[in-house]
Amino acid sequence: MATKVREQAAEAAAPSKNGSSLISDEKLKQLYSTMVKCRVLEERIRILKKQARFKGNYYAAVGQEATEVGTTIDLRDEDTIAPSHRDFIANYIKGVPLNAMLSQIYMRSTSPDKGRSSPAHCGYAPLNIITPASTIAAQLNIGTGVALANKMKKNDNVVVAFSGEGSTSLGFWHEALNFAGVQQLPIVYICQNNLWAESVNVKLQTRVEDISTKAQGYGFPGITVDGNDVVAVYRVAQEAIQRARSGGGPTLIECKTYRWYGHSEIDPAKYRQPEEVEEWKAKDPIAAMERYLTGKRLFTPEYKQQIIDEFNPQLDAAIDFAEKAPLPEPIEALDHVYSFDIRDRELHRTAYHPKY
Amino acid sequence: MAISYIDAIQQALREEMLRDDKVFIIGEDVGVMGGAFGATKGLHEEFGAERVIDSPLAEGIIVSASIGAAMAGLRPVPEIQFADFITPAMDALTQQAAKLRYRSGGSQTCPITLRVCYGGGTGGGLYHSQTNTTWFAHEPGLIVVAPATVADAKGMLKAAIRQDDPVMYFEHKKLYRTPSIKSDVEEGDAALRDLFKCAIRREGKDATIVTYGYMLIVAQQAAEQIEHELGVSIEIVDLRVLNPLDSETILESVAKTHRLLVLQEDHRTLGIGSEISAIVAERAFDCLDAPILRVAAPDVPAIPASEPLESFYMPNVEKTVEALKRILQY
Repeated sequence: MATKVREQAAEAAAPSKNGSSLISDEKLKQLYSTMVKCRVLEERIRILKKQARFKGNYYAAVGQEATEVGTTIDLRDEDTIAPSHRDFIANYIKGVPLNAMLSQIYMRSTSPDKGRSSPAHCGYAPLNIITPASTIAAQLNIGTGVALANKMKKNDNVVVAFSGEGSTSLGFWHEALNFAGVQQLPIVYICQNNLWAESVNVKLQTRVEDISTKAQGYGFPGITVDGNDVVAVYRVAQEAIQRARSGGGPTLIECKTYRWYGHSEIDPAKYRQPEEVEEWKAKDPIAAMERYLTGKRLFTPEYKQQIIDEFNPQLDAAIDFAEKAPLPEPIEALDHVYSFDIRDRELHRTAYHPKY
Repeated sequence: MAISYIDAIQQALREEMLRDDKVFIIGEDVGVMGGAFGATKGLHEEFGAERVIDSPLAEGIIVSASIGAAMAGLRPVPEIQFADFITPAMDALTQQAAKLRYRSGGSQTCPITLRVCYGGGTGGGLYHSQTNTTWFAHEPGLIVVAPATVADAKGMLKAAIRQDDPVMYFEHKKLYRTPSIKSDVEEGDAALRDLFKCAIRREGKDATIVTYGYMLIVAQQAAEQIEHELGVSIEIVDLRVLNPLDSETILESVAKTHRLLVLQEDHRTLGIGSEISAIVAERAFDCLDAPILRVAAPDVPAIPASEPLESFYMPNVEKTVEALKRILQY
């Protein structure tokens, strides 16, 4: 059942045997430009972190943009994303305003969660992006529940749930996939296999070569794709999403990719060999797409510069917005515990004065 | 007609499923079999496999799939067949359900009602007897209730399903078919009961027993015995809700009786009695005429199966009367 897709982007873009349509030039350019903007966004956040302009940590997906963009770009507002800590940019791709995202980075009162979660743990209810927890793989299980609701409500909305290869070692991961298989739920599991779960290599997580083979145990298709080839990822993801929308059940997509930097901004990642990092940087998904677009006469360096020049002022404005946005009031730490207010209860634990 | 505690649960589930098509049930053996104890009897036939879901044998996904479905607008009523088996769902309950509203700044919520069958005294042994209510009473964001009467079993379950927060509903297996507590119940909205207040089950002036769940029966028997023996009157506060605690009702009762005994089936250390004792010591110190006492299970890991061992473990009428005498004669 598990199939490998390691084809050239040019082939992937062509009409395939299963009838998926040609990817338009506009879509190809959108895939590219979105990856570039995600890269600019995260590299800027890393600089802001180094400048200590926000507190807390950040988990960059630089190097993994093809998997984020290729899987998320065509989702509808009503579709749900269940992100992990490394999927901050999925918010941008789905359409979350930059002001909200930068407010999250700065933990301001204007952030979607009003300053509660860590900078990278961004969710956004209006676009059905689940605010992530840090307990690994938990988002898959909740996303699976959203998919159950979609099935029960008989709509055609889907869920895209992200996890890394490390999360496949957890029981949760398997409970989620097993249940989705039994119930034939409209969900696509994206496993970003970037070889390293913090400092632990994938060889110490699993004995299998391709994580997609695990889908076989749950009775639905698993596919491994070159996670640095955005066209291949896009095509595979679209197939899986369409299958989910039309009642065909779940799919597991393993995207083989690599994070360029450490687990977080405080991790120098000395556990990796420099040669390995360089080897993967040579497989930069953005550069690969530039070569592909050049072949189709869709790319020039000026085009890239234009994307960056248009995006940077938007990003500057969002950073400015976030830096000037108010911090939460201290008392707000007592809010959003229940559907009812607990401020009075917490603030007035006074001595009891009996009437005797 | 007087009905049993478990029939009250079944009625509440059925009424809420008829009232609101977003309500559904998921758990192990809840469908075709109608539940290990019969709480969902007949519902699979009436509402179909889509709304009464026989889940895989995996407590983690039972709860976390419910959380996701609730986020998406449904009203799941998952079941944990035995409280002892809830541990695979600990992340779902403590990290997800309890924190989702908080971590999303109020923008994402998961109104699930998790029914949990708990409690000892049936010879069920280590893994079919536990009272682990305290684990969840310690978690802000969760509402934890433990109804002790048939009317509460029905009314609090209905109210829990309508509550916009995650609710854990602990039902003691020894209450399910106890003939002495059978009672009439109302229908529809008239059956609804408050989720957040303690109930005074017996008025008294000389000492207060605070308890919950099956131990309410023990408290009532102990109160009758000691009233007969010593001619005193005992007030009984049925907690009903363990999180958030209704401190005011407890404090008012202690202010009236000046003596407090907490009776819990759970073991002693850091149990609900510890918190209630602290609240009364902090806020009503001047009201007390005697030390606060707790009657609780010993600090051993679980309830042993063999009859003499289990009897030794369980709080009972004798232990409660003895403790009451100590605070009354202080």
